[in-house]
Amino acid sequence: MTVRVLRIAPIAAAFVFITSPAFAHTGETAGGFLAGITHPVFGPDHIIAMVAVGMWGVFLGAPAIWLLPIVFPLVMALGGVLGIIGVPLPAVEAGIASSAIVLGLMVALAARPPLWVAAVLVGAFAIFHGYAHGQELPDGANAVAFSAGFVIATGLLHLTGIAFGLLARWPAGRLAVRGAGGAIALIGLAYLGGLM
Amino acid sequence: MAAVIAAFIQFAQPTHLLAVVALGLLVRSASPIIAFVLGLLTGSIAIAFAMRETPSTLVLLGIAAVAGMIAALARPLPILVASVLAFVTGVALALNSPPQAITTPEAIKEQITTGNAAVLLLAGSAWLAAKATRPWRRIGVRIAGSWIAASAILVLALRLAR
Repeated sequence: MTVRVLRIAPIAAAFVFITSPAFAHTGETAGGFLAGITHPVFGPDHIIAMVAVGMWGVFLGAPAIWLLPIVFPLVMALGGVLGIIGVPLPAVEAGIASSAIVLGLMVALAARPPLWVAAVLVGAFAIFHGYAHGQELPDGANAVAFSAGFVIATGLLHLTGIAFGLLARWPAGRLAVRGAGGAIALIGLAYLGGLM
Repeated sequence: MAAVIAAFIQFAQPTHLLAVVALGLLVRSASPIIAFVLGLLTGSIAIAFAMRETPSTLVLLGIAAVAGMIAALARPLPILVASVLAFVTGVALALNSPPQAITTPEAIKEQITTGNAAVLLLAGSAWLAAKATRPWRRIGVRIAGSWIAASAILVLALRLAR
């Protein structure tokens, strides 16, 4: 019963956010949440980097596999704050493209550096991703729903990466995951070179 | 019935939901829930005396950020601190949910419904968090706290900066 409730709870929570209130006071909550949750989807560089974080977490093993989805959104929010208050951060787009290259390479090489090195690396890239999205955060009544949708989408991309990364338990899966890491690095390189 | 529906809609705002759910992730006993109810009553009385507009939205976002962060860090909160946090949340929530009805009985009905919805959500999220005894469920609670805190921090910064 409890397991069933736990399974239904996120869906119910999503519906609560999606439900459109009748009062003007509440603003365009549905639009805000949907816009937020689809926002990362329209940025392929963001998608591949987030998925790479999840896949790398699998190679790093516990506790990194669950620490990254907890820490990344918080660090990303700090980056978002920098973007919102207008603190200058150079080469944001290059930083995001570099995150795909580096994280993709880490997956391709099945690298297992010390946890603090991985945390610093992922945290630094989270700042760039958060900064870019913080600048695009819409003002108004739907800002809360937008940011909740955006953060949830980012988290779900991590979980997607973790789910795909778990294929690495099998030799063929390991090859597929490392190959995907290489592909992510190449796409990041294309972004950095302005080819995409 | 219209007043009840209106009150539910009034309550079901993302800011309210984030703050109450984040608080629920920290609640481990009945005391904070009682403090929350007392806070709701205090806030409702303040509305009845027609207090001027308050920064209750910012307070709720701040509570969501702090409570979410504490849940993400998986740090146990002393009951007294949790109760104070719950009381402040209750007051801010009531102040942030002024009844839309014109007549006093309808307004009271709306306020009671808003309060009931808030207490139910708090108790429900606290129950779910308390049931999270297995490692992967505890990680789920921490991830939920992290996501709530991140969302609240972004909007708080936006509101304070612009």
